[in-house]
Amino acid sequence: MRLELKNIDKAFGDKQVLKGVSFTAESGKAFGLLGRNGAGKTTSIRILMDVFKANAGEVLIDGKPIDYKKIQIGYLPEERGLYPKKIIIDQLSYFAQLKGMTKKDAVVAVDAWLERLGMTEYRNKRLDTLSKGNQQKIQLVTALAHNPDIVILDEPFSGLDPVNAMLLKDVVKEQIAKGKIVLFSSHQMSYIEEFCDSIAIINAGKVALHGDLYDIKRNYPRDRLVVSTTKPELIRRDFGSACTETENGALLLQMASPDEKSAVMKRLVEQYDVDEIKVFEPSLNDIFVQYAGEQV
Amino acid sequence: MKQLGTIFRFEFRGYLKNKVFVGTTVFLVIAIAVCMFIPNITGLFKSEDQPADRSVILIYAEDPQLGALVKQYFDPAFPDFEVKLAEGSLEDVQAQITNGSADCAFAMDSASSYTYYVDNLSMYDANTAVAETVLKEVCRVAAMVEHGLSPEEAAEIMSAQIESRTVTLGKDQGQNFLYTYIMIMALYMVILLYGQMVATNVATEKSSRAMEVLVTSAKPTAMMFGKVLASCLAGLLQLVAVFGSALLFYNLNKSAWGDNPMIASIFNIPVSLFGYMLLYFVLGFLIYAFLYGAIGSTASKLEDINTSVMPITFLFIIAFMVVMISMSSGNTDNTLMKVCSFIPFTSPMAMFTRICMSTVPWYEIVLSVAILLGSTVGVGFLSAKIYSVGVLLYGTTPKIGAILKAVWKA
Repeated sequence: MRLELKNIDKAFGDKQVLKGVSFTAESGKAFGLLGRNGAGKTTSIRILMDVFKANAGEVLIDGKPIDYKKIQIGYLPEERGLYPKKIIIDQLSYFAQLKGMTKKDAVVAVDAWLERLGMTEYRNKRLDTLSKGNQQKIQLVTALAHNPDIVILDEPFSGLDPVNAMLLKDVVKEQIAKGKIVLFSSHQMSYIEEFCDSIAIINAGKVALHGDLYDIKRNYPRDRLVVSTTKPELIRRDFGSACTETENGALLLQMASPDEKSAVMKRLVEQYDVDEIKVFEPSLNDIFVQYAGEQV
Repeated sequence: MKQLGTIFRFEFRGYLKNKVFVGTTVFLVIAIAVCMFIPNITGLFKSEDQPADRSVILIYAEDPQLGALVKQYFDPAFPDFEVKLAEGSLEDVQAQITNGSADCAFAMDSASSYTYYVDNLSMYDANTAVAETVLKEVCRVAAMVEHGLSPEEAAEIMSAQIESRTVTLGKDQGQNFLYTYIMIMALYMVILLYGQMVATNVATEKSSRAMEVLVTSAKPTAMMFGKVLASCLAGLLQLVAVFGSALLFYNLNKSAWGDNPMIASIFNIPVSLFGYMLLYFVLGFLIYAFLYGAIGSTASKLEDINTSVMPITFLFIIAFMVVMISMSSGNTDNTLMKVCSFIPFTSPMAMFTRICMSTVPWYEIVLSVAILLGSTVGVGFLSAKIYSVGVLLYGTTPKIGAILKAVWKA
């Protein structure tokens, strides 16, 4: 299954929030939707979920307009919250029923998820008696209990301790393995890098970058070298302003063009005591800062 | 439709599990039971051979004949009092009043002049008014005797009885007033209370961010209609519990209440009026609850609710005041009431009152119900639109113009 947002425009009053946003996500893969605060991620998600109508553009599944009666979507919003005073099983089965399940099926599915997340003991308790992390796990059930085709997780790892984060990682991997489209929105780049095959960076309502994460990294200009050496001062003196230091103490050499790569490598090996040389590949954080930071 | 049913059941169960809702209903039923059993309860403490202590009225007159004459007339005029001739001086009489052995005293200078002594003068003290009527009669009889009539002839003239019959062709307002008043008050209380509950319910979902999941799970129309219909049924259930228990307990104690005209007039409500009450209750409740729900969706914090709903509450209070003033004036068919009978926000109370207390042509009722029904459906869909725009607006409560603009563009 292939989900496609095509040339989506959306304005609230005079404010144009989305300008021709397009991206695609495929089943069995995780997709990262990135952007700074207010870039238009949540609006894109809400249009995808049919909460808002787009002013222009369309949401397609396998090239045809999405049929919300057939395609189930599960959503974990960034703004967490359920009914604090209501019993957990009551509200979770209610949300699953709203998604079309019968009451009996809803209770069975919710119970299975509570067990999977180690939350069965809280089944008949009120939500506000749980810790924040446990409430977040309960909220995850609302996104998954009805066995959706598309799972949208907005900042899923925020507020989780390492053990629960690990549990959530396993759940996400299971969903991907089951052939679901998993759409991530997060500012924690490490998680996006860990899960997502492809990404889209939205900046000021426009898609600034979209594609396969591996390809994006490979296609990044290969005009920088990372050099590990015991005598960095010699290289720094020779290369001048083209040489900077990375966070982990290695040197970063900026070349005039990627074509110089072999020559510079040869020169470094011959002239200096070098432990390691490799072509610099940007982290997702670097890519994000570059593309999403352009408006700053 | 399936979603509407799910939301309706969830919300309705929420009311049934709400301790305040259950507690209030039980309290009201118990309060009504206690009121209805009062004649039986007081009967238990009454003893046949020990008459209850009655309040005492003293009559002080220096002329013993005058005192005796006044007592003779006061005895039947003050059936709830024991009328006694005072002994001793005027100071002794005053002392008896202040120490509580007598309630009040009439110090008679003559049949047409007296001084009334009382410890604390109650706002509702009607003794002087009664006394004046009686004393006027004494003076008139005395005058007639002076002019040659015998005391018996004079008494017969004074006690002339007028026979009269009243045939009510339309409604008897005196009889209908009390139950109309009770039903209007019930309508007022339930709509105001439940309207606030709907607004608070929506605002709570928004402030707790449960809305984030809800808007992605259900259609705003289903959400709005499900919530409002559930609260309507809960309100109706509470009304049925209260009125039903009142009717039940009244029938259990009917013999004890005897012919109490006030109680009888309350329970002699024609069945057709219950039908009209149900109709106007449901439609009136829905139209206001939709508005309350829509306003609730625009508030980001629960604290904002009271200010946000104020315009609707004012509108409703104005409708209530118009009806109450017209009812007390005795003219429920005045022009204002007639106009209000066709305005959807006022007709549930105005037209209902007119139906109870006067004769309204059938076509006016049909027109009023049709306008109200159409408006309710219209307001319902408009509220669902406002709801869908309002629930995702956080921060300061938007102005009504901005909301309507957003609804128009949505």
